[in-house]
Amino acid sequence: MLETGKIRYSLSFLLQCWSSALTNESITNALITRLRITSALDDHDVQTVRSLPVVVKHYQPGQAIVRDGDRPTECCLISKGFCVRSKTTSNGRRQILSIHVPGEIPDLQSLHLHALDHDLTTLTECTLGFISHVSLREITRRRPNVAEVFWRDTLIDAAMFRDWIVNVGQRAAPNRLAHIIVELRERLKVIGMVQGARFEMPLTQEQFGEAMGITSVHVNRIVKQLRDDNILEFHRGSVSVIDEQKLLELADFDGLYLHQRPSL
Amino acid sequence: MPPFHFHIVEDERVVKDEEGQEFSENEAVRREAVETGASIARDAFIQGSASRVIVDVRSGDQQFLKVTISLTVEG
Repeated sequence: MLETGKIRYSLSFLLQCWSSALTNESITNALITRLRITSALDDHDVQTVRSLPVVVKHYQPGQAIVRDGDRPTECCLISKGFCVRSKTTSNGRRQILSIHVPGEIPDLQSLHLHALDHDLTTLTECTLGFISHVSLREITRRRPNVAEVFWRDTLIDAAMFRDWIVNVGQRAAPNRLAHIIVELRERLKVIGMVQGARFEMPLTQEQFGEAMGITSVHVNRIVKQLRDDNILEFHRGSVSVIDEQKLLELADFDGLYLHQRPSL
Repeated sequence: MPPFHFHIVEDERVVKDEEGQEFSENEAVRREAVETGASIARDAFIQGSASRVIVDVRSGDQQFLKVTISLTVEG
């Protein structure tokens, strides 16, 4: 009996070890997939990134991960789900600044900018991997190529913000919405999350409004127009492209700023 | 509070809001209507697709408020 018990215990212990190793691997999967495509990451670098200690946590939709003014000691890697970065004015109006998909580390800047200057919030249910600044600093010092890849990642992040400013400041609202959707689709493609014409798009009309600087009623008006013009169809949590050509014309999209190849 | 429907009229084109939205206070409905009208009018006036935008807010069969924004260019 005792022996059986012992065997059971050690089996379950082994299973636990195996599953946590699997978890660590699956947590970094989207990140590795993305970095392999966008940056020059060699096999040794991949092993280094995979060896980072990651604390996995599950979040509900609309939950704050880090807030404006916080002094985080870890960075957050999205493994599953969508997040947004935002700032809120003193009279309570929220501007969504960026939308983040699996494989991204939206607060990588906190490794060098110690106080956070915006909020990072989940949009959907999320599986997040937290990596301590201590271990990130250690690997970037030990592996300069990994440091360069992370540096490049924060530069691409800045390039996306420049494009976001142009989009919100200069395009008419229907074009603005089309642009956000095409950009997200391009980023989801890299991590294999787009098969066919329909893909995940978990923003509500109110959240699209916060991203575009317009009201949710105005978003509703545009959604109807895009459907009536047979360009896009919105579903709960996803979107389908009906007319690719018209969508691209409307979005005025040139994906150069995403720098999705190491040569760009 | 019952839902408010924001019907949009750009010149003669009407876009009905069948779903409607709920608000906790009347002031928020007014703000939403004015802001929606202003941002739709901005796009429409710049593109030249309309010179008058109306946001007709209804609750049930009753008109709750109506915002009219029109463009006049003289000279």
